Amino acid sequence: MEHWLYTIEIAGHSMTFNLDTIFTMWFAMGVLIIFAIFATRNLSLVPTKLQAFCESVMGFFWSTMDTMMPKENKQHVPLVASLFLFIVFANLMGQLPLRLIHIKSGELASPTNDINLTAAMAIIVLVYYVTAGIMKKGGKFFLHEFSFTGIVMSLVELLEMVTRPLSLAIRLFANIFAGEILVTIALGACAYFGPLPIMLFEILVAFIQATVFMMLTIAYISSATGEEH
Amino acid sequence: MEQQLAQFAHLGAGIAIGFGATGAGLGIGLATKGLMDAVSRQPEVAGKAFGFFLLGAALSEACALYAFVIAFMLMGK
Repeated sequence: MEHWLYTIEIAGHSMTFNLDTIFTMWFAMGVLIIFAIFATRNLSLVPTKLQAFCESVMGFFWSTMDTMMPKENKQHVPLVASLFLFIVFANLMGQLPLRLIHIKSGELASPTNDINLTAAMAIIVLVYYVTAGIMKKGGKFFLHEFSFTGIVMSLVELLEMVTRPLSLAIRLFANIFAGEILVTIALGACAYFGPLPIMLFEILVAFIQATVFMMLTIAYISSATGEEH
Repeated sequence: MEQQLAQFAHLGAGIAIGFGATGAGLGIGLATKGLMDAVSRQPEVAGKAFGFFLLGAALSEACALYAFVIAFMLMGK
């Protein structure tokens, strides 16, 4: 799956942009932002249908936060909720018929089939949980008690700062990417009806992967800010 | 030489996805076994256990997908 690359030169360094990913990412973000503006415009005590729907969606995030991370969870809900909503919408975009719009090379599909986007989100999560841990515990976030086990634990946690975002990024990317390749193979096997069951399965995968990303984010934040770590 | 390298890369891709799929299959099978045990012992937790099962299955399926990414990179050689 090649992308639509666009290279610019800034002061001797060349930067390459994946234009199709940028376009689909801004499409997903724009739809979410416009939906949020419309949903929160006329809030009332007796909710309309749209407001009731959005409140139940937010209730899902509150209850998930409460089960995964019982204490001091209020300030982390915005990050977790926006990650979940963006990933769900981005994954589901792959099933929209956006591929009918022809671009120079590559195709318009889920923005999450590009590892640059998922890696960026994973790095945001890394920076967020390290910052949350430092704000909660100060320098003790990196250190344990001064013993052999404590030193080894500190080193293992430094290693986890690399492996956690790596696995987060590759998990989401590989699921969506493998789904698109499966759909392409099924298209070759039986042109009109072959991809249908796989596309239905991809809708399930979209929700599951967004849930997994959200759950792991909550688990990392709660392990960084929790008492024993 | 170049052609031989490509052949070995394709062989490596097959081996990678094969072993990766074996591990993920074992993992999902174990997760299903756990779900069946829990549901047959206590049928009222079925809904909640199914959610955790999906999470665990997705996590172990991701290992096969790491192998898939490696295989895809080898196929491009």
